[in-house]
Amino acid sequence: MASANKEVLFGLYDDEEILLTAVQRAKDDHLDIMDVYSPFPIHGLDPIMGLKESRLHQAGFIYGSMGTLTAFLFMSWVFTRDWPVIFGGKPYWSVPAFIPITFELTVLFCAIGMVVTFYTICGLGPGVEAKTLDDRITDDKFCIAFDTVGQSSSEIDKLKSFFSSTGASEVKTKVL
Amino acid sequence: MVDFTITGKERTTLFAFMALGVVCLIATFLWGDPSDIEGHHTRFWANILHNSVFFTGIAFTALFVTCAFTTAYAGWFTILKRVWEAFYLFIGVGLILMAIFGVATFLGMHDLYHWNMEGITDPDSPVYDELLAGKKGFLNKNVFLIGTVVVLAVWYFFATKLRSISIAEDKDGSKGDFSFHYNIRWWAALFLPIAAFTSAAMIWQWVMSIDSHWYSTMFAWYATASWFVSCLALTILLLIYMKSRGYMEAITGEHLHDLGKYLFAFSIFWTYLWFSQYMLIWYANVGEETIYFRTRVDQFPVLFYVNLVINFLVPFFVLMRNSTKRKYGTLIFVCVIVLFGHWWDFFQMIRPGVLHTAHEVHAMHEGGHGAHATKDVSGHGHDDHAGHGHDDHAAHGHDDHASHGDGEHGHGHSSFVSGFTLPGFLDLGTMLGFLAFFLYFVMGRMASTSLEPANDPFLEESMHHHT
Repeated sequence: MASANKEVLFGLYDDEEILLTAVQRAKDDHLDIMDVYSPFPIHGLDPIMGLKESRLHQAGFIYGSMGTLTAFLFMSWVFTRDWPVIFGGKPYWSVPAFIPITFELTVLFCAIGMVVTFYTICGLGPGVEAKTLDDRITDDKFCIAFDTVGQSSSEIDKLKSFFSSTGASEVKTKVL
Repeated sequence: MVDFTITGKERTTLFAFMALGVVCLIATFLWGDPSDIEGHHTRFWANILHNSVFFTGIAFTALFVTCAFTTAYAGWFTILKRVWEAFYLFIGVGLILMAIFGVATFLGMHDLYHWNMEGITDPDSPVYDELLAGKKGFLNKNVFLIGTVVVLAVWYFFATKLRSISIAEDKDGSKGDFSFHYNIRWWAALFLPIAAFTSAAMIWQWVMSIDSHWYSTMFAWYATASWFVSCLALTILLLIYMKSRGYMEAITGEHLHDLGKYLFAFSIFWTYLWFSQYMLIWYANVGEETIYFRTRVDQFPVLFYVNLVINFLVPFFVLMRNSTKRKYGTLIFVCVIVLFGHWWDFFQMIRPGVLHTAHEVHAMHEGGHGAHATKDVSGHGHDDHAGHGHDDHAAHGHDDHASHGDGEHGHGHSSFVSGFTLPGFLDLGTMLGFLAFFLYFVMGRMASTSLEPANDPFLEESMHHHT
């Protein structure tokens, strides 16, 4: 979750290709990017920004395994200990018949678990008002943002000149 | 123009393996059969059928995916298109291989296909089989021969057609000239429905009819999925090998990642079909259907369970992570296992049925002798059967046969039979021989033209593929 009261200096770009070169420039100049916003995923952006691979899928694997175990153990317990019933002359512990339900619960646990995890990480959820720097970054603008808290004016000027030299169409500030 | 050449070392290695395959086949012909069904050369024929079906299927799926991707405007695979072109031209060899079985069946061989036994659809015959008589509209030697030859000829026609347009595009086309590509897409789209229907019918004929009493509507999909996964595994292995030789530099981790995803996805797809077939039959518990799995679980347990481990658990857990689909080491590991695994899967589809048929035929000939003596007038002379190479019956003691009689009812045959219960060295050697032959053929086809389809409109996109 984003901490309160960040002063953000951000530049808007019109095209993702310009954005990619700008991000590369920022990395070369050792500028500390806070984040990059885009209406859609951009190929090749993650490695340039040096982002680590998300661990969301590892969480997904754990949720899925929990689903597998829950379904399989629960059915095994019900049909062998709690309420054994013979269906169609099959044994009480009929593994093939459990597989489809085990599969379904694996998918269900995995999906719900990952959605909840993802929403928690991103600070999203019902009733939460999303903070955006500019509404157009969800539509047709691409944005590079710098956190300017505690930066001297010469450093901020350096960032501004970075924006103008890399082709940003607008440069703005906002307190998040 | 990127030219591929086969080095002398590769040629020597491949020919050595082909020689190994031939030696194994000869040895199988001479000594391969288990002692109780000696003289039928059952294992020899089963070996050739198994490998022919397997590698023809790989060639067929290469053609099918090329057509499917082309129809779907896919661009990423263009850089490896020439590899699949080389794969699918093998259908021509498959035509010859499978035609051997068509002709042999037409001439009366019934060691593999029990439905082809003389008199089996004749109510007056002592070997009459009501179930097989009911299927004689499809399971008969004419349909088998004509169907096999015509369908494979049609596949081969499409293969050569697509290949020739693709080469013509290199020679006569230019950047920005889409006419060749439209032409390819027209033929590719036409092939898809033809491929879907004919491949199912061929699998029923070639493989499913071995267990002649049994049938399953899932079987065609299941076997095709097996072919597809094998095709992908072999493609990945070949690409990695070619990269190690300095070819296919434009193939990056991105392409391998996509191929790895296909391998992962279709391994699961295969498992899904395997399980759907198994569970429905297990649940419904109809005798004539369950016997297929009963036989495999009881008498071929290693074949049956290992199949699931190497074709589902291994690719599922190893390829689940992103990074393992990009690393050569893990990809090679999974591809080798899965390629062998689907060969094993076809082994599991073919051998138990063949062994059962061999015992049944043996017992029937034995039981039939007495009947023939009195029934010669109806035209099922003893000479007929002697012609099929069973003239060594006298060599077997009577007790021997009595025990086979019991086996018919599911109590016998539980002992280990090399080449049937599990692949023996002869079967593995034959497989390596076929594999070497397939690779030699593919490399020859790749060497015959540029490796890069230079004027394909999707080439540029393919070279900058990014997942």
